[in-house]
Amino acid sequence: MPDKDSLSRRTFLKATGGTAGAVAIAGCGDSGNGNGNGNGDGDTPTPTPEDEPVYTTEAPKAQEAWETVENNPGPEAEDIRTEAFIEIEEAVRDDMVLLPLYHELTEWFWYDWVDMPKFGSLGIHRLQHNTTSVDTSSDQKSENVLVMINGTMSTIDPIRSDDTASGRVIQQMYENLVNYINGNPEIENQLAESIEVSDDGLTYTFNLKQGVTYHEGGELTAADVKYSIRRLAESSNSVRANFVLDSGFLGVEHETDDEGNVVPDSLAVEAVDDYTLEMTLTTPQPAALDILAYDAFGVMPEGTVGDIEGYDGEVTAEEINNSYANGTGPFQFEEWSVGEQAEVTAFGDYHGDGPALDGVRWSIIEDDNAHQTAYVERNLDLFTIPTSFYNPDNVDAEEDDQGRDVGTYGPLENGDTVNYLGVPTLSVFYVAFNVPQVPKKVRQSVAYVTHHQELIDQVFKGRGAPAFSFTPPGMWPTGPDGYNQWVDNWPYSRNETDRESATQALNEAGFTADDPFEMTLTTYDSEVFQEFGRLTRDKLDGTGISLELETAPFNTLISRGEEGDLEFYSLGWIWSWVDPAYGLFGFEPENTDTSIMPTETDGYYLDWHVGLEDYESGDGS
Amino acid sequence: MSRWRYFFKRLLLSVPVLFLVMTVIFVVLRMGPLDPVAAMLGPGGLSGANAEAIRENLGLNQPLWQQYIDFITDLITFNLGQSWVLHPNRTVFELLRAFGPRTLWLGFWSILLPLFIGIPLGFYAGMNPNSWGDYIASFGGIIWLAMPNFWLGIMLLTVLRRTDGGDGPLGFDWYQFGPNTDSLIGAPSLDFVDVSSWADLGVVSLPTGLSFEWMTLAVAIKVILPAAIVLGSASMASELRIGRTAVLETINSNYVETAKAKGLSSRVIVWKHVFRNALIPLLPIITNEAFLLIGGSVIVEQVFNINGIGKLFFQSAVQGDLPLAGALIYIFTLIIIFLNIVQDLLYTVLDPRVGYDQ
Repeated sequence: MPDKDSLSRRTFLKATGGTAGAVAIAGCGDSGNGNGNGNGDGDTPTPTPEDEPVYTTEAPKAQEAWETVENNPGPEAEDIRTEAFIEIEEAVRDDMVLLPLYHELTEWFWYDWVDMPKFGSLGIHRLQHNTTSVDTSSDQKSENVLVMINGTMSTIDPIRSDDTASGRVIQQMYENLVNYINGNPEIENQLAESIEVSDDGLTYTFNLKQGVTYHEGGELTAADVKYSIRRLAESSNSVRANFVLDSGFLGVEHETDDEGNVVPDSLAVEAVDDYTLEMTLTTPQPAALDILAYDAFGVMPEGTVGDIEGYDGEVTAEEINNSYANGTGPFQFEEWSVGEQAEVTAFGDYHGDGPALDGVRWSIIEDDNAHQTAYVERNLDLFTIPTSFYNPDNVDAEEDDQGRDVGTYGPLENGDTVNYLGVPTLSVFYVAFNVPQVPKKVRQSVAYVTHHQELIDQVFKGRGAPAFSFTPPGMWPTGPDGYNQWVDNWPYSRNETDRESATQALNEAGFTADDPFEMTLTTYDSEVFQEFGRLTRDKLDGTGISLELETAPFNTLISRGEEGDLEFYSLGWIWSWVDPAYGLFGFEPENTDTSIMPTETDGYYLDWHVGLEDYESGDGS
Repeated sequence: MSRWRYFFKRLLLSVPVLFLVMTVIFVVLRMGPLDPVAAMLGPGGLSGANAEAIRENLGLNQPLWQQYIDFITDLITFNLGQSWVLHPNRTVFELLRAFGPRTLWLGFWSILLPLFIGIPLGFYAGMNPNSWGDYIASFGGIIWLAMPNFWLGIMLLTVLRRTDGGDGPLGFDWYQFGPNTDSLIGAPSLDFVDVSSWADLGVVSLPTGLSFEWMTLAVAIKVILPAAIVLGSASMASELRIGRTAVLETINSNYVETAKAKGLSSRVIVWKHVFRNALIPLLPIITNEAFLLIGGSVIVEQVFNINGIGKLFFQSAVQGDLPLAGALIYIFTLIIIFLNIVQDLLYTVLDPRVGYDQ
């Protein structure tokens, strides 16, 4: 067992200080009782003698590492943070509180008449189609409009967007100060000409581009940017106010009233003159620009909607949500017929290059057979292929310098060979445990029998990358070499079904085939996780774990997780910007306390904080 | 009891049924395991203040009896609220206006096609029992009935899309056949009727001038045809089977013998006696089709990407958009109760025996 890094209780308390310790203890009292599932194994923590470090939990290490990240925000402290990120990953792996399964690979296919920039790991929804073109001289293509597939969209209002389907459309119409151009994980200026950061890392000064026009006329000014950020923070329609206000996100300085709501117009965002904007944060945030690239920060003219104090609004909140958009992007809003399609048309006065297309149209298609029909009919120019119709032998691709697979795919059912791009995205899908309810040896045994590659081949026909860390390889803090080393050190029989080690670990903990540990895996309605569940149940049969499977609708899964009512569950995490902290924050053991979730904690449903108190997880008593 | 008293009694009975359904919807929505607020905010968005505000808005903080009364009142007054998860900020009415016509168009053709294929075939088989024509029609009906909708839909899509270019298995190009179409999937454009003038009659306005776009109509029919055949397939087969049996029973009954003995022409016997009586057992089959369409359209709309009510309901149920799902169940209930009343009305008209022995 890798236990050399374990900290003793004394060291931990010294490191975190009194307050943190008190929170952990108070939280634990609540969640140890009541929320269990009846098997009772984890509900009575017993103290660990210091001379048995083999059972010591890694939670204190994770807690300390997270605090190191929080206390060292500046750019000069990057190495310290990098080390702490790796320590969190190690703690997660060694305690096996969460088993990463795969990183998603997104694959897009397009017909020869389309010419477009290749997008990066942040996904196609970050790709602005201003330089994309279609060859209308081809006999299959009569209009200069790019037709794509999309899922059900919920809104075209930036501050209400929290799904990629909406984000794809919003991205063509609205622009941010900075953005990930073409989905590449490097921030570039979009509406900002230049950015200055004060020495203390708290004040950002944005110099805006001049001569940027809106679709409905009028020029972009700093007051518009301020208005758009205020709307995001203050409007009751905003679903991402926390991105502006909360520490851990931007944490812009502001005042709150007695009820904890932000006081209107108290944000420290000031329009110094028409083209200069100043923003002050409460603590330095290394990922500040990455956060500003999020869709929700799309800029619209001051006073467009009256859903914050001080503005009457030119359009209603309903119109900006359903049928009106006025941004600075290369395309302007044309039509959104709900559940059917959305269309944007070229904006002639665009401040950047292009657009080369007359428009972009998204057909909203969700069924696999309808989807296959649409692209075989050549009615989609740029599309995905549902796994049931996908044949891995049809791919002829090579890896480029960005780790993307570039090549061709074919033949399709109609005989055509199309272009292919496979991009590993910044995502991870995983199964995780409620720590007090599942002994450590049991958690580790599940890792021993998990064969990542086999799962991916069986479920996705190989379309996905095995995950051995929470942080995707594309943003691993110590780069590709560091990541490879990490994978080599994976302690749980990588890509192998190691029933022997699992049985041995379980026997040590007192579980045998005759007297197994019983637990339930709750997955949401996902073929991958159900297949994982079936495989794992069969592999564990006879080792000392008896696994039950159940599914729950996504929403039920979330609310049960927040109640601490999940022993073993499946979920995923997708990064909206490139910052390991924006995924690892959920492992801070004190932040995994489900008894005060979701109001005071927002980590993963692990109850790992119980481990902060000398909890002995391995004896299975 | 007279026929009409019987009918009005049935009409009155639908009121308690409606209340029962509304109560069941309420219980499922408010006391079920799904938390509408969690569904609305999704993972990560569930900050305390936000959740409280939404609970307040939805009235979830009020006592249960108060919520119940508000809920029932809202439904009865058709104050159906809005979607929260699937299409936030769109009212249920707006969604019904957008999605409803597609389902109605699909439903109309999936009832009409089987009526005009299934019943004539059944009657033909019944009039010519144990002939080769009868065997082919009856056997075909059984096979047709046995094919599930989702499978039939996928097969039809696969076969038809391979006709692109004219060299497919069927020897013709479906896309060029009749009016040209781009795609097998998606909802047809239904703007073939244009109202050119309106007449005001007090509170309601009635369309007086209509203009038809015949080409758009033809395309709309062609686009819906594959989906309608699939959706109507099961009822087409059962109409055939029951039509055949009903005709056979009637032909061999005493009064037909009597009519023959009286020397009535076979045309009069068939049209006046056999058909009218054979329609009686078919009536519940036809009205039941409408019920099936509501459930069955979910799958067919999904496979053919017709964004209609069926798909809307399915998604709202799966994604936990409980206010929308509840409103749709209520609408479905109203439709079904209405169809039941229509069925009773038709019985009353068609069958003089209704109500006599009660």
